Amino acid sequence: MADIDIDIDAPGEVAFLMGNEAIARGALEAGIGFAASYPGTPSSEILPTIAEVAKKRGIYAEWSVNEMVAMEAAAGASLAGIRALTSMKQNGVHVITDFLGNIVMTGTVAGLVLVAVDDPSGRNSSNEQDTRPVARWLGIPLLEPGDFQEAKDMTRWLFDLSEELKTICMLRSVSKISHTRGNVLLGDMPIREMKAYYDLERIARLANPIGHQELLEKLARAKEIFELSSFNHYTGPENPELMIITCGSGWLYSREAVKILQLERRVGILKIGTLFPLPENFIEKYLTRAPKVLFVEEIDPFLEPGVKELAADLPPDSKRPVFYGKRSGHLKAYGEQEPDTVIEALASILCIDYQPGDAAYEVEADKAAENHLIPRSGTLCPGCPHKASFWVIKEALKLDNRYGFVTGDIGCYTSGLGAGGFYVVKTVHCMGGGAGIANGMGQLGRFGFSQPVIAACGDSTFYHAAIPALINGVFNKSNFVMAVLDNSATSMTGFQPHPGTGYTAMGDTTDVVKIEDICRGLGIRVEICDPFDIDDTVSKLLELMDFEPIPRVVVMRHECELIRARREEVPYMVHVNPERCIGQDCGCDRLCTRIFACTGLRWNSETGKAEIDEVVCSGCGFCADICPQGAIVKEAVRL
Amino acid sequence: MERSMGRKKERVMENKGCKELVSEVFEKGLCTLCGACAGGCPYLVAYRGRITVMDNCTLDDGQCYQYCPRTYTDMDAVSCNYFNAPYAGDAIGEVQEIFIARSADLEIRGKAQYGGTVTTLLCLALEEGFIDAAVTVRNTGSWRPESYVASSREEVLATASSNYIACPVLERLNRFPKESAMQLGIVVLPCQALALGAMKQNPPANRVDICNVRLTLGLFCTWGLAQEPFHKFLSEKVDLLEVWKFDIPPPPAERMDIYQGSDIISLPLDEVRQFRMITCAYCLDMTAEFADISVGSAEGIEGWNTVIVRTDTGKALLELARSKNLLETVKIPEGNRLHLIEAAANKKRRALHEIIKVTGNKGELMYLGLSPKAVEKMMDNR
Repeated sequence: MADIDIDIDAPGEVAFLMGNEAIARGALEAGIGFAASYPGTPSSEILPTIAEVAKKRGIYAEWSVNEMVAMEAAAGASLAGIRALTSMKQNGVHVITDFLGNIVMTGTVAGLVLVAVDDPSGRNSSNEQDTRPVARWLGIPLLEPGDFQEAKDMTRWLFDLSEELKTICMLRSVSKISHTRGNVLLGDMPIREMKAYYDLERIARLANPIGHQELLEKLARAKEIFELSSFNHYTGPENPELMIITCGSGWLYSREAVKILQLERRVGILKIGTLFPLPENFIEKYLTRAPKVLFVEEIDPFLEPGVKELAADLPPDSKRPVFYGKRSGHLKAYGEQEPDTVIEALASILCIDYQPGDAAYEVEADKAAENHLIPRSGTLCPGCPHKASFWVIKEALKLDNRYGFVTGDIGCYTSGLGAGGFYVVKTVHCMGGGAGIANGMGQLGRFGFSQPVIAACGDSTFYHAAIPALINGVFNKSNFVMAVLDNSATSMTGFQPHPGTGYTAMGDTTDVVKIEDICRGLGIRVEICDPFDIDDTVSKLLELMDFEPIPRVVVMRHECELIRARREEVPYMVHVNPERCIGQDCGCDRLCTRIFACTGLRWNSETGKAEIDEVVCSGCGFCADICPQGAIVKEAVRL
Repeated sequence: MERSMGRKKERVMENKGCKELVSEVFEKGLCTLCGACAGGCPYLVAYRGRITVMDNCTLDDGQCYQYCPRTYTDMDAVSCNYFNAPYAGDAIGEVQEIFIARSADLEIRGKAQYGGTVTTLLCLALEEGFIDAAVTVRNTGSWRPESYVASSREEVLATASSNYIACPVLERLNRFPKESAMQLGIVVLPCQALALGAMKQNPPANRVDICNVRLTLGLFCTWGLAQEPFHKFLSEKVDLLEVWKFDIPPPPAERMDIYQGSDIISLPLDEVRQFRMITCAYCLDMTAEFADISVGSAEGIEGWNTVIVRTDTGKALLELARSKNLLETVKIPEGNRLHLIEAAANKKRRALHEIIKVTGNKGELMYLGLSPKAVEKMMDNR
């Protein structure tokens, strides 16, 4: 967390803030009264930063059950006159587009800001996607910060803008802004009177053509304001050889590239902060000054087609520049950009001889990595209950012998796609997608489909998006098993509370919404088991797979190992008895290190025995339960 | 581990593992469900009338392949190990004594399939401490057979009776850890007796200590039924929870009788036969030749068993049962004896013909490693 109290009233002081903290600070400076979010890396730190000071500042912050509810709840606050913020990752923005498409036409009251944080390269995501087209598609004024200072300042300013325009405004950040730190000059913390009241005189109407017309008027006004925005500026020679038009973290890379190549006298940088609607007149002023233009931006070309559209409208005799960017292939069209990619593009366009890295060093680095890194594929943590769950699911599917499989979902357990989950997961799309897919497949018996389908979802995912699919399955009698891999946490994004945890974002205790109660309320069969009880779970799964043809649920409950480890010592001391370990011989063939492959286990090729890596082992004891020779021994530490 | 595994195939010089077991046996429908391959490792598991491959075993030299009664088996070696004599191809195998018998115990007779001989002998062996437990088969409530370890008279009684459905008892045997000192009796079908013979000839390395198997009781078998399909078929015909006995009366009855409550439901044997396991067509053995004592029905004599004593162990147990008046034994009628030999010889001849139909070559007999003399004898048997 930040090295200061995030709500410190110290205008003019400099704080070293993570981008997401800067965004939260901007919202606090704007005097928000309401924040709602659903966790999603790289956006997850915004809400808790606000929640931490929420009580002190008399505001409200919540982890909502999903992004849709978070967005709607924030809009509810806005409509009753309270400034509100909602934040999410790109996938969340997909979830809320239906609501967005309507709120843009009905309008808002108090400032309402959506912060969308995109994940270039999809390092923490199921996909790599750009949320900015949503702004253009639905008509939402959009800003993109180029550094930490702007992350704060833009957020703060967007509330004023939203209030002036009476429409929702959007800030688009990316991992490199949200998840890195930099200096931020703090603003003041004005005390705002907040009184919530819904004005009954406000005309509530559906988004008809009048709403659309009003929206276009608001966007025209936004463009006028953006023409004068200090978030847009040009630095460089009056008539550069090449002009970089950039936004967001592209601005950081561009400055670095120009500096490294010492092109300050040849290349100018036109930095745009207000991405939609574009400040057309401002851009036009610079567009014809350079014969070449390079666009630098993260993920999809957004600024690029916008500016090209402007160029198309230039007077016929204008000198149009040659455009370079993702369409020309000078920057890669996918994956995260970096200074090197910009350097390479500049070097190529300007015919500069430049070697971005030391090739010999790279070879050395690769060699060092080979020597020091353990070769292994993506896996789950030692002691992870999902690994136990996938093991028992694998066992049950094999025994069942009808080529059953898992339709997966979003969470740590997405790794069931790979060796860490024994490849049992065969589809992964979006939150709740596994249960939805299972609904469809569960109707295909009429076409000869006989493979058992297990829809796996985590506890948080269950509340988020799996419930409607489950209800649909009950309603339409779809044949599938839902396995709720309940590790009692939203682990992948950092242990945020959810309806099953019994506490809220602001630390208050609350009623637990029990997964099994919801399912029982649907009148369907529910089994609860601990995946570490292998025999019990396998037999319940086998039974449920046979129990056709309506949905049935198995709640596989075992607390996330990371939470347990923070609270208490290990449950077992685990060691291998080398006398009993038969290693690669008939009767084992390295089951523990080859198939189960927990990172806490190690194969010693010299002795031909398995070993426990005491540094990594979490003492869960699962490997002792599956060792065919009883060679792995677990001794209880806690009684 | 110096042990050489999967090397009974000296004549063909092949060491093979799980992958080949799958391709040469399972995928060709040759699995007899004896269970010899399973239960001793994490990769082969018996479940619902099937051996399931759980994960990929990389060994190219495995005891699963070695013990399978449908991979190459040197019959002479197994026979020499058992009877100190090569495999001769006699219709009903090695015989010390053959007779008909029934239990003197009315409780046993009431529960047993025919004369209750197997149940009586197991109870005796347990009571005398000759064995600590018996590995056998019992039925679950809905007549799914499951292998079972019985260690008391009550538990043995619970295993009495048959439903002709194959069940992998050797898988249960394999699940005994190698350091277990428990002395065991086992009740096996002919294919299981052969696999057990292979296990005795070349003892398992990392599973049950095969020396602990003190007593092998064989059951006569014409063919076995595939568990899942037959179970499905049955559950459409009868209420399995109400069924208390199955019987296939000797020829020429040509029917299976199912005792449901006070009713007897008879199914034409041809309907039942469609669920025969393919692999049974290639089986030489009707009377469980690699056993201490083999037991079957006594044709035409209701409530009695035909009993063949084959080894000294079997003989000793039998004499003990006689001395304690636990078993009534009577000389087998000559007609019964001849008919049994004829039926057993027919099975051998038919099996060899079926095998040669597949291989097209008398010298190439699938899993059977036989001396040409034995082959000739069995082919000519009348």
